[in-house]
Amino acid sequence: MSTSVLEQPTAPPAPPVLATLDDRALVRRAKSGDLAAYDELVRRYQERIYATLYHMTANHEDANDLAQEAFIKAYHSLRSFKGDSTFFTWLYRIAVNRTINFLKQRKHKTHLSLNDLDFNAEHDPDLVALISDKTPRREAGLAELQEKLNAAMLQLSETHRLVVALHDVQGLSHEEISRIMDCNVGTVRSRLFYARQQLQSLLSDYLKSP
Amino acid sequence: MSQSPDNFDALQKLLALKRHEPPPPGYFNRFAGQVIARLEAEGGVPSPTWWQRWWEALNAPPVLALSYGAVIVGLVMLGTGLLQSLELDADPALAASQPWLARDSISVAAVAPPRAEVLLSPAVDPAGPASSFSPVLGNSAPPFLFNPSGLRVERVSYQPR
Repeated sequence: MSTSVLEQPTAPPAPPVLATLDDRALVRRAKSGDLAAYDELVRRYQERIYATLYHMTANHEDANDLAQEAFIKAYHSLRSFKGDSTFFTWLYRIAVNRTINFLKQRKHKTHLSLNDLDFNAEHDPDLVALISDKTPRREAGLAELQEKLNAAMLQLSETHRLVVALHDVQGLSHEEISRIMDCNVGTVRSRLFYARQQLQSLLSDYLKSP
Repeated sequence: MSQSPDNFDALQKLLALKRHEPPPPGYFNRFAGQVIARLEAEGGVPSPTWWQRWWEALNAPPVLALSYGAVIVGLVMLGTGLLQSLELDADPALAASQPWLARDSISVAAVAPPRAEVLLSPAVDPAGPASSFSPVLGNSAPPFLFNPSGLRVERVSYQPR
């Protein structure tokens, strides 16, 4: 995928009046060709969309390209958006479907390009406890744990990984996930249970009690 | 002791590690600008095609959709009528064989009131007063009222008392 656009200059923030409008009003404006209104929508959801795609791909460049393509495709498809769901759910569907297709094509050339952990990770008491008490080697650092965790995530199927990323990492509710994945809540719960069981088995060395 | 298969507390804490994987600094300050720049480079919003506009019109509120429907039905009926009249003008034989389609006869029948003599002609014989020798239904009865198939009605016998 091309990443040439990464060198584009920083755009000025959207006009303050747009920040006060709700999604429906912004979508209406964007449908009539108002790019500033769409810019505001991108700013609202860029972090959540990027995070989901990053947790799906475990690769920053892929997540960046897929997120940009999702926003561009959503813009071109705005006319077909009838408002039956929220713009957020509709956008998520576009991003997730595109990413699942991408991952199916990429299946045999997986590579990790993980982002560095931020400073807060070293001070998160839960994570500190995991490192000091539960790792097989006490010297194992957060970076190693991160790598093991992402490798385990990549062994899940795309749909199971998506459920874990949306629920356990991003904190979305079962109902929200069911709308994004276009399935019922029971399916989301069973996928989540199965995915957690698999992860627990793959990460058993890191999850044993002392 | 191993984790219970249904107890995912430790796993969820471990998964929380993934929340500490941010993209490079300043990434989100540039992201929206890059998306908009790509959209502008592609030419912005493509203008909708005629069928997209038509489809949107059909998805309009019911009252508006009904009025669109009424206009479309009216146009279809007008077009059909025009087409028929053009065909009749072009083919006089067709008009002669199917008089009910003839524009003139339709218009005359629609505009002019029926004449009394035409309505009474089957009941009153114009040849003379009715008598036992000249029955009401004679051979001169117009074929279009009581004899549509062209059958002849003739007297067979009559025995006065």
